[in-house]
Amino acid sequence: MPWSVRFKWDRASRGYDFATRSDAWRYGAAKRRLFEGMRGHCLMLAAGTGHDFRFFPPGLRITAIDISGGMLTRAAPFARAYPGRLDLVQMDAQGLAFPDARFDTIVSVCTFCSVPDPVRGLLELHRVLAPAGRLIAFEHVRSRLGPIAVMQDLLTPLSRRFGPDLNRDTLANLARAGFRILREENVYLDVVKAIEAIPD
Amino acid sequence: MARLLTLCEYGAGALIALATAVVIHALVQPGWDLVLAMLLGGAIGMVVHLLLAFPLGALIGMFQVMLAGSLIGMYGGMLFAMRDAMQPVSWTQTTAVAIVFGVLVVAGVQVYDRVLRSRVGG
Repeated sequence: MPWSVRFKWDRASRGYDFATRSDAWRYGAAKRRLFEGMRGHCLMLAAGTGHDFRFFPPGLRITAIDISGGMLTRAAPFARAYPGRLDLVQMDAQGLAFPDARFDTIVSVCTFCSVPDPVRGLLELHRVLAPAGRLIAFEHVRSRLGPIAVMQDLLTPLSRRFGPDLNRDTLANLARAGFRILREENVYLDVVKAIEAIPD
Repeated sequence: MARLLTLCEYGAGALIALATAVVIHALVQPGWDLVLAMLLGGAIGMVVHLLLAFPLGALIGMFQVMLAGSLIGMYGGMLFAMRDAMQPVSWTQTTAVAIVFGVLVVAGVQVYDRVLRSRVGG
């Protein structure tokens, strides 16, 4: 587990709730709609401080991982409050300690903007996802609109020091890792997207 | 809530544009080299936008404030600096034009968002 990444997100966990406090108003409905597709044994990547747990359908068996112990400490009360089974595990998305085809659904919320090697992480997801399983992702990506993409490129060297990259091409990375996009929805501009994919 | 957030986006855009224009107006004088003034304006706009966008974004929506704010900061900063280098401008004109510019950019981003916000695949 890369120490520098863990340290960055442990540090970010202190201000994470402040920085994302408007997310529930902005994206709560879109997340709830997207998460309706969760089935069977689910894996959630980048649990963060647990504020997305409230959008999960009740009664599921979910394993939520995060690279940061600081994030998981803050997420623990929300995991206990979830009306189902939600286990928290500290783990790196680039090296999942799960057997092949373990999960029926994988949920990723703003994860592949931060994983240092996104294709390696997505290949791990491909490995632990059942052949008939589904990947559900809520991610921000690089815009295809020139002026906005330029700003994302310019801001990324700074944002990367404290949090995520702003200019990842996660849709292309999904294809590189062997996923086929079933559905792609713009939630804000063409930057914040809801995505459903299956192993190709 | 959605309408309130939309109004706040306009307010944030106007504030970022106003702060950018005021700083540039205080620094850039008529007769400056236009290219240098525009480069400085863009840089000042980026810094001002970063200082304001994080706290405002946390309250209103990080992407909504940062994306519009970065356009206002960088491109607005260049335009404000070009204008200040080319002619004497009053503080009233500086602030009024900045607010109009900020509001127009936010409106443009919101129009783009409405056009793009839909299912695009699958």
